[in-house]
Amino acid sequence: MAFQILLNVFLGFLWMFFTMSYEPVAFFKGYLFGMVILFTFRRFFGSRFYLGRVIAIISLGLLFIKELILSNISVLKLVLKPKLDIKPGIFALPTVLEKDWEITILANLITLTPGTLVVDVSDDNKILYIHTIDMDDAQEAIDSIKNTFEKAILEVSR
Amino acid sequence: MKTNDLILQTTTKVVLFIIILFSFHIFFAGHYTPGGGFVGGLLTSGAIILLMLAFDMKTVSQILPINYIYIAATGLLFAGGTAAGALFFNVPLLTHAFGHVDLPILGDTALHTATIFDLGVFLVVVGVTMTIIQTIGEDE
Repeated sequence: MAFQILLNVFLGFLWMFFTMSYEPVAFFKGYLFGMVILFTFRRFFGSRFYLGRVIAIISLGLLFIKELILSNISVLKLVLKPKLDIKPGIFALPTVLEKDWEITILANLITLTPGTLVVDVSDDNKILYIHTIDMDDAQEAIDSIKNTFEKAILEVSR
Repeated sequence: MKTNDLILQTTTKVVLFIIILFSFHIFFAGHYTPGGGFVGGLLTSGAIILLMLAFDMKTVSQILPINYIYIAATGLLFAGGTAAGALFFNVPLLTHAFGHVDLPILGDTALHTATIFDLGVFLVVVGVTMTIIQTIGEDE
């Protein structure tokens, strides 16, 4: 990915030298043309076209904001509820993510989902221990949320 | 004997993009300075031929799964469409129009329909050259 971006920036600068105009617009044009060329030859590189990954990062950010809002609303509901009929508990979530930053992002996202909180990560980085505020209904639904998060993160890193 | 083309292939991976970007520059420079669709198209097909020399035809057709005959057809369509488009405005065939347009980031840009005609030439040149090379190359 880094190589593709570097090449694209290089092509942008090259365009400025070709057209002899050293303005930001010239660089922008060259960058755009370079992107078109890179996209055409995307199968040439070992990894996929970098713009797909940029889009994945943006969608992950949007997902983060959405979950942040939802979690705050659900906590607000819980606080305002007259009867305290919650069943807290801790469960283990096996993860397929390997790199440190992936696990960190997953843990942070889980912490921000409604009613869940990462307590600990196992020593071999394979299992996340999660505290949930409502054990009954949470398990299934939350596992599916984790799948969307994990998928979104894999989309960025693969 | 099969030799290891590592150096040629690695160099191609960078040079290819420079050549194609330069061909784009040649293409857009055509209105005021030497250049235009024909040279640009030849340069682009030259870059693809370099790719074919560094790798083999099967790899290139995997990287660029393009039927070049369609490219030539699209180019003809562009050129013919630009020519025919003039008829809708009650002017003779192949009359071109131009104007200044304020684009969001690029600023004041002069757009001319001759560029679309040139793009047609570009695509036809790429399509025809690559078809010739591929047809000769595949015959063993």
